[in-house]
Amino acid sequence: MALTGRVPLLLLLGIVPVVLSPSLATMWLWVLVVIVTTGLDWWLAPRPGALELVRSAGVKVRLGEPAATTLSASYPTGRRFRGILRDAWQPTAGARDNRHRIAMVAGDRARFSTPLEPVRRGDLMAVGVTVRSVGPLGLAARQRTREVTGSIRALPPFGSRKHLPSRLARLRELDGRSAVRVRGQGTEFDSLREYVRGDDVRSIDWRASARNRSVVVRTWQPERDRRVVLVLDTSRTSAGRVADVPRLDSAMDAALLLAALASRAGDRVDFLAGDRRVRSRLRLTGTDVVGPLQDAMSGLTPIIAEADWSVLAGALAGLGRQRALVVLLTPLEPSAIEEGLLPVLPTLVRHHRVVLASVKDPALEEMTSARETVDEVYGAAAAEQVLAQRRRTAGVLRALGVDIVDADAERLPPALADHYLSLKARGLL
Amino acid sequence: MTTTLDQTPAAPTASVLAPVGWFRRHRAVLLIGTALVAATAAALVGRGAPEYSGALDPSNSHAGGARAVARVLGHQGIEVDVVRSAAALGRARIDRDTTVVVTSTWALGTRTADRVASTDAGEVVLVDPEIGVPTLFGQDEGARARVASPVSARCSDPRFDGLTLRVDQATSYSTGSSGCFPVGGRATVQPVGNGFVLLGAGDILANDQILRSDNAAVALRLLGQHDRLVWYVPDPDDNTVGDGLGIGPLLPRWLHPGLWLAGVAVLALVLWRGRRLGPLVREPLPVVVTAIEATRSRGRLYRKANDRAHAAESLRRAARSRIAHQLRLGRRADADPETLARDVADAGGLDLDRVHRLLVGQGPGPQTDKELTHLANDLAELIREVRRS
Repeated sequence: MALTGRVPLLLLLGIVPVVLSPSLATMWLWVLVVIVTTGLDWWLAPRPGALELVRSAGVKVRLGEPAATTLSASYPTGRRFRGILRDAWQPTAGARDNRHRIAMVAGDRARFSTPLEPVRRGDLMAVGVTVRSVGPLGLAARQRTREVTGSIRALPPFGSRKHLPSRLARLRELDGRSAVRVRGQGTEFDSLREYVRGDDVRSIDWRASARNRSVVVRTWQPERDRRVVLVLDTSRTSAGRVADVPRLDSAMDAALLLAALASRAGDRVDFLAGDRRVRSRLRLTGTDVVGPLQDAMSGLTPIIAEADWSVLAGALAGLGRQRALVVLLTPLEPSAIEEGLLPVLPTLVRHHRVVLASVKDPALEEMTSARETVDEVYGAAAAEQVLAQRRRTAGVLRALGVDIVDADAERLPPALADHYLSLKARGLL
Repeated sequence: MTTTLDQTPAAPTASVLAPVGWFRRHRAVLLIGTALVAATAAALVGRGAPEYSGALDPSNSHAGGARAVARVLGHQGIEVDVVRSAAALGRARIDRDTTVVVTSTWALGTRTADRVASTDAGEVVLVDPEIGVPTLFGQDEGARARVASPVSARCSDPRFDGLTLRVDQATSYSTGSSGCFPVGGRATVQPVGNGFVLLGAGDILANDQILRSDNAAVALRLLGQHDRLVWYVPDPDDNTVGDGLGIGPLLPRWLHPGLWLAGVAVLALVLWRGRRLGPLVREPLPVVVTAIEATRSRGRLYRKANDRAHAAESLRRAARSRIAHQLRLGRRADADPETLARDVADAGGLDLDRVHRLLVGQGPGPQTDKELTHLANDLAELIREVRRS
C-alpha cells in the first residue's frame, strides 16, 4: 500500500465543507470519505504480480565503461496498468536512471532499459524489482518488490593498454633487428640479409659474405615459446590502498599488460592468484589472453589473511615443469616477504627466473621529506625505518637472484613490460 | 527509456472507445467533484435550526449545557428569561426581585460588563468568570485547579448549610470570611458585594454534573433566590474594538476543524512521502586499508613512547645511506659512520665537527622534541649541501 500526492490534496479540499459548516463532525466526515475512496482505489489497483518480468542476460564490461540491462515486461490480462517500476542494483553498479513509468493495457509488452556504470570490479548484483501499481483514481497504489536475478561483471579496466602499442613496437624492433646486441644463449638464428649502415659489425657473417658479392649479416629473432607465469597475491598486503586504489588493482593492470605483450611475443602465459589458497588458476592459449584473464581477475578481492606461499608455489609447480619467467605480483612488505615468501624462494629460483613486481607508495617518500612539526619528524623517522627495511629485504631478494621491479602504481605496468623486454632481448627467459 | 512493443488496439476500436475514454480519463475529477458537492450539501442541510452549543447554555441539551437546571427552575415557578445580547438585556425587566446569571463570561467586554453591573438586580451570579472579570470586583484572577474530593460549604451563608458540591475542576478565589465551598483555603463561591457572586465551580450547572452530590441543591438555591431569573448569555458580537476581550471570539468558527483537517492532511503527506519505492540496497563493502597507515602509526608510536634516540638513529642512518649513495661511496660507508663523516667533510669542503655531530652523533642524543626537529632539519640541509657540492 502506498499513497499518492492526491490524498493530502483531497483532504485539504475538505476546507470547503468545513467553512460552510464549521464543526469537527464535518471534518471527520470528510476524512472518512477520503479514507473510503482511497481504500476503494487501492482495491481497484491491478496487482503488481500480474506484470511478468524477464531480464536480459548478464553482460561484461570494463570498469568505468557504460552498459545497460533490460527488463522485458509483459502484461497478459487485467485492468489498465499504470505505475512505476524501480530496478534496484547494488550502489556500485551505478544504476542511475532506474525508475521507469509503466502504462500498459492487457496484452502489451514493454522494455525497460536501465543504464549501468559500475564503479567497482567484480560481479555486481541486481537486488530486486519494485513495482508500484496505481489505482484508477490515482489515490493509492499497490506495491511489491520481487527478485528478478541479474548481474553485471565489471572487469579490471586495463588502463595500461595505452602502453601496449609502444611496447609492441619495441618488440617488433627486437624481432627484426639485425642482431640482438648481446648474442646470448637462447637467441635464435633467423636468416641472412644484406648489411646496411648502422648494423653491428660483429653480426657480419663472413662465410656467407665470401660467397656473396655484398656483405651479409645474420639476423636473429628473439626466443619464442617461453613460459610466463603471473602469480597474483590477494592477501592482506594487497588490500592496502595507494592513492585510493588497492594495490591488487594496480598489480592486475601490470599483469594484464605483461600478458598481452608476452602473448604477442609468442610466449605462453599462465595465471595464478591466491592467498591462503589458490583462488584462480588459468592456462592461456592463443593470442587473446586479455579477455579470459580479465574475466578470471574480476571476482578477486583481497582477504584479511597472510599469504601461504608454499601453497602458491605448489600450485605453480602443478602448472608445468618447464623453466618459466615467474612474476610475483606482491607488495614489497618486509615482514610479509621475510616470513612468507623467503622460505620458498630458493627452490623457485633454482627452477625459474623470478621477478617480483611491487607497487610503491609515493607517500612514503613524501613522509621522509616533511619535517616541519614534531609529529612529522617522528613520521619521517618511521618512514626512513620502513624504507631501510624495504631496502634490506630487497637486498636479500636480489642476493637470491630475484629481480625486483618496484614502481608507483602508474609506472609499474610499463616498468614490468620493459623489464620483460630487456630479459627477452638478452635472451634470459 | 520505455518502448512499447505492440499496441494491441487498432485504429477503428480506438474511435469507438473515445467517449468511454473521456469518462475514464476524468473519472477521478468527476468522483472527487461529486464527493465534494455531496459533502457540502450534507453539511448545509445538517446545519438546520440554530443550535446553542455553548458551554452552560440554558438551551443546550448536551452534556456541557445547562438546559436541565434552567428547566427545573422553570418548573419550580421561577420565571426564566434567556437573553442573548446586550440589547435584549437592556429590554429585560430587571428589578430587586430578579437574579441575573451570566454564563459564557469570556464573551463579556468592558461595555457589556458595565451594563450587567448597572442593572438593579437583586443578585448577579457570574459563572466561571475568566481573565479580567474578577479584577473588576477587586478579586485576584482566580486559579483553575483540579478538585479531588467533595467540597462542603463551610461558610455563614444559610442557603448552603450542610451542602457539598462535587466537580472535577473549579476556579477558586482568595477569600475573606464570606467565601463558600473553599478548596485549599480559596473559595469557589465568592460574594463580592453589591449582590455580586462569583461562581468558580460553574460545572455544577452542567447537565451531566447536576446530579452529582448536592450540586442540584446548590445550583437551585443560588439561582432560585428570587422570583425572576434573567439568564444572560453574552454575545461576542456586542463588543466593539476598544473592549477588552480575548482573541478567541474574533477567530472564524471553521478555524478549529480547519486546523484538524490540515493536521490530517499533513499526516497523509507524511505517509505519501515516507513510503519508499522498494527497500534500501545493501552494498557488500570492500576492505579499505590505506597502505601508508602502518607507517604513520609507527610514527605515532615513536612519539607516544618518546623514543627520540631511536627516531634520531633512524634519521641518521637514512641520511648516511643517502649521502653515501650520492657520493658513490658504496656499502663500506654504511658499516663505518666515522669514515663516512670524514669522507663527506672532505668531499664537500664542510666542517668536520658539524658533519660528525650530525651523521654520527655524540652523547645521549636529542633530549627534547625540539632538538630532534632541529636534528632532522639539519640532516636534510646537509643532504642538500652534499648534493650541491
